Amino acid sequence: MGSYDLVDVEVTHESADDLLDSLSGDSDSEDHIQSVQAVRLQAGQPDSELRSLKQLDEDSVKLLEHQVDAAYRALFEMDGKALLADEVGLGKTIEVGMILKEMHFRETDNSVLVLTPAQLAKQWQEELREKFGLDFVCNYDDEFEGFDNHDYIIASIDTAKSERHRSTVLKRNWDVLVLDEAHYVKNEETDRYELIDNLTYNYAFFLTATPIQNELTDLYNVVSLLRPGLFGTRDVFHQYFVNSNQETLVNRNELQDRLNEVMIRNRRADTDIDFTDRTIDTRTFHPSPAERELYQAVSDYVKGAYSQDQGQKLVLMLLQKEVVSSPAALKETIEKRLYEQSELTHAEELETILDRIEAIDAVTKQERLLDIVEEARENVEKGRVIVFTQFRATQRQVLDRLASEGYTVHSFHGGHSSEEKEQIVEDFEADGGVLVSTDAMSEGRNLQFCNIMVNYDLPWNPMRVEQRIGRIHRIGQKRSVYIFNMALEDTIEEYVLDRLYHKIDLFQQSVGELSSILSRLEESGTSFEDEIFERLVNADSEVDLENNFDDMAVDLQEQRDLADKLEEFNSGVFNGFDLGASDD
Amino acid sequence: MTDAAIPVTQSAVERITEQYLQSLGCTIEKQDNQWVIASPDSTHSELLTDGLTLVCGDEDDVGGRDNFEPLHPESAFFQRILSQASERCPTGKIAISSAGNDIRIPEWLRQSDVEVSDADFAPYYDRTAVVILYQVTIETVSEYQSEFLRAIALDARSEEFLPPLEQTFLELTSLDGATVTSDQTEIDPTDARELLDTANERLIERIDETIDDIHHEASRAADAEVEEYRQMQQQRIQELQEKRSSLSSKVDELSERIDSSEEAERVEALKKRKELKSELQDVDAELKDIRRLRDQGFRERQSEIRERHALDVRTKPVTLTEVEYERGEVEFELTMGEHRRTVTVGYGSGVGVTEAIDCASCNEKFSDHTHLGSITRGLKCEDCASLEESRHG
Repeated sequence: MGSYDLVDVEVTHESADDLLDSLSGDSDSEDHIQSVQAVRLQAGQPDSELRSLKQLDEDSVKLLEHQVDAAYRALFEMDGKALLADEVGLGKTIEVGMILKEMHFRETDNSVLVLTPAQLAKQWQEELREKFGLDFVCNYDDEFEGFDNHDYIIASIDTAKSERHRSTVLKRNWDVLVLDEAHYVKNEETDRYELIDNLTYNYAFFLTATPIQNELTDLYNVVSLLRPGLFGTRDVFHQYFVNSNQETLVNRNELQDRLNEVMIRNRRADTDIDFTDRTIDTRTFHPSPAERELYQAVSDYVKGAYSQDQGQKLVLMLLQKEVVSSPAALKETIEKRLYEQSELTHAEELETILDRIEAIDAVTKQERLLDIVEEARENVEKGRVIVFTQFRATQRQVLDRLASEGYTVHSFHGGHSSEEKEQIVEDFEADGGVLVSTDAMSEGRNLQFCNIMVNYDLPWNPMRVEQRIGRIHRIGQKRSVYIFNMALEDTIEEYVLDRLYHKIDLFQQSVGELSSILSRLEESGTSFEDEIFERLVNADSEVDLENNFDDMAVDLQEQRDLADKLEEFNSGVFNGFDLGASDD
Repeated sequence: MTDAAIPVTQSAVERITEQYLQSLGCTIEKQDNQWVIASPDSTHSELLTDGLTLVCGDEDDVGGRDNFEPLHPESAFFQRILSQASERCPTGKIAISSAGNDIRIPEWLRQSDVEVSDADFAPYYDRTAVVILYQVTIETVSEYQSEFLRAIALDARSEEFLPPLEQTFLELTSLDGATVTSDQTEIDPTDARELLDTANERLIERIDETIDDIHHEASRAADAEVEEYRQMQQQRIQELQEKRSSLSSKVDELSERIDSSEEAERVEALKKRKELKSELQDVDAELKDIRRLRDQGFRERQSEIRERHALDVRTKPVTLTEVEYERGEVEFELTMGEHRRTVTVGYGSGVGVTEAIDCASCNEKFSDHTHLGSITRGLKCEDCASLEESRHG
């Protein structure tokens, strides 16, 4: 690649006097072989195996061969600077988890900064804690006190580059930097690129399924952040590897050799990941007239209150979610607002809502849930079903109802100690019946013994939905998985389900695919939950609402198509390497 | 070329520690993963303390107890063992006799379809070789630092290069198969020095490719840095040009004001203009300076970068082993179908075949890449054999 004669090579043969002196010495020559062996061991790699693996809880994380391999290579063959570029859904987060665990074990991780897109920060935090026992503070946590006050931080890259935090982030000398969705720093003219370029760190692991977004320069930029100089100058890289029309590669073999020094890319086809079938059964029910009136009253209240004061967004969003979950959940929040927070502006409306809650005799979803669990009792082993809800009050109500019908029930929520949680899962496995859980059910819990799950209510964040499903539909699940979604007709839930989740085929996506869609969405400046809420409250009519959601579905579909296209493009480029094909 | 390093596994750690301590006269009482060490009074080693107990495996099991030392690949105790053991006896002599050792079949014969039905070695005389283990460090900007251990074997008299002996030596001194014993060297230090000089040259030839690869990487990195610097300076030039033009128009503006304003204001403007002019001069000077440097290709900066990225290759002989071996002739009885042929060729114990044999047809030397193909009409390489076969149908 060009003629390089910029640097000199100086060879020094160090003195052999000591060695020659020993020829005439009186040392015990019998021990010479031992000296040779000691010298050979001194030159050997210090035990390069992942020694922390045995500390991992097999129930929390099942490691796959390609993941262990990637972690090993990144640590020991790439000297701790690697671009992890597996195809989506192969567990890059697990690979980084292993790497961080190993570094923790070897005490080479005094300060670790994990930068992710905002939407994925909490998920990273959870996964590292649940699967690897690694505690990180996230910039969204209440206890987060800035980048100079914690040693293990997960933060959104945009928070890190913000005016407020930038200088603190840059001032530190980080031991380890992890950069998720690294393709978002592909452009060397952006603040993000500048941040990473100026960060000081000893080890770095970048993750992306699509290192190339638009053109090969993306690859140059991302790799140059990790290993400056690996590709030489930008111009030389272009002249040597890229055909002028930007569409084809030349000198592929050399590019592959260089990339192999820094990039690991596993392909789905090369792994033995095999998932069982997933059947989705979405059931929508007619609400009773009383439920319909309650829904309308809450929606009107939310819309009105939001138009007056947008600062209340979070609580209003909560009410809108609760009304479709259960009257019980709604009641708690309304009462709190009325009696504890002395909400006076809308007191009358809130009182009316309370009256409407009281007017409900039978909760439709609850009654219909009985159909599902009964079906399960008759057809699956020990009638095991997991019912997920977002709210504790809903959980209590559902548990009471099921118990009153004679079902064996188990309750799981964030208030239990870890021993209790362990026990609950064991009891559920042994006794069967229905486990009603909030989203506090950790990802690490091993629930493959159950294959039926009910989304009693629906989180507005698709990642949450996928995480719920992932708790039973994971590697190790041997049976087909059945997911039941419950929604009342003409409610926000039906819209979210019908117009959004089904349109992007959410229930058939893997976590990896979803996160790439969501990160793209976030890149365009949107939070999924906010988007849903805004579209809901800003609709002036039913038709408007439908159109709003259709628009959003189109956006999502576009992001999905783009993500698919990119994935395909990258597969094409990198697969070409493996075949050794060359255009030159 | 084989790396002489041995992977540092827990079992390797335990094996060499046990051997070393025993060679110091210590006895070891093993209880599960704990070794209680008893050393005779005559043993003087700073490693050994009264009631020393080694705990194999994880450091966590030691728990800060007195006289308990963890023993694992990274433990300080093990590192001290290695350092003492390696320095104790860096020179010695071993002997490789033909007795009890299998005859080493050369690769060109092993990879061939021709069968070796018998091999008989007749040693005629003893020879001496040396095997030197070299520590090699190739250092440039830390990114590309590389360290390894290489063995170089030479015949002591002819200085002939003996790569197969390196392999034999590494096998004989591996932790698993070390049955060989060592003795006092007999080689003269002056002769040894000469051999070391030759070995140094051989070593560099052998690692040339590695050096070359690293040199390329370092050169690319330096090139990128020079380019970055060039771009930065170009940017600076642009900034200065903009600044210059802005200053210059301010000066013009002030000049106009000076011509047309009242006394007091004029003095103020003159003062300001003087300041700006001086600033303008500074900018001009800086611009001129950068342009001059640019025209010279930023020579100084380039050489600074070149120096920083330069490769520092250091080699250090760390052990020298005198190897006594036998030379003579080996007789290979070759069979291919119904054809038989006997080949006699120069051979050394531990060294293998020392003589080159040519293809009877094309005169190409048999090697790792050119295998024996046929023995029917003399020894022929695979290419010639298949050509012959196609010709004769």
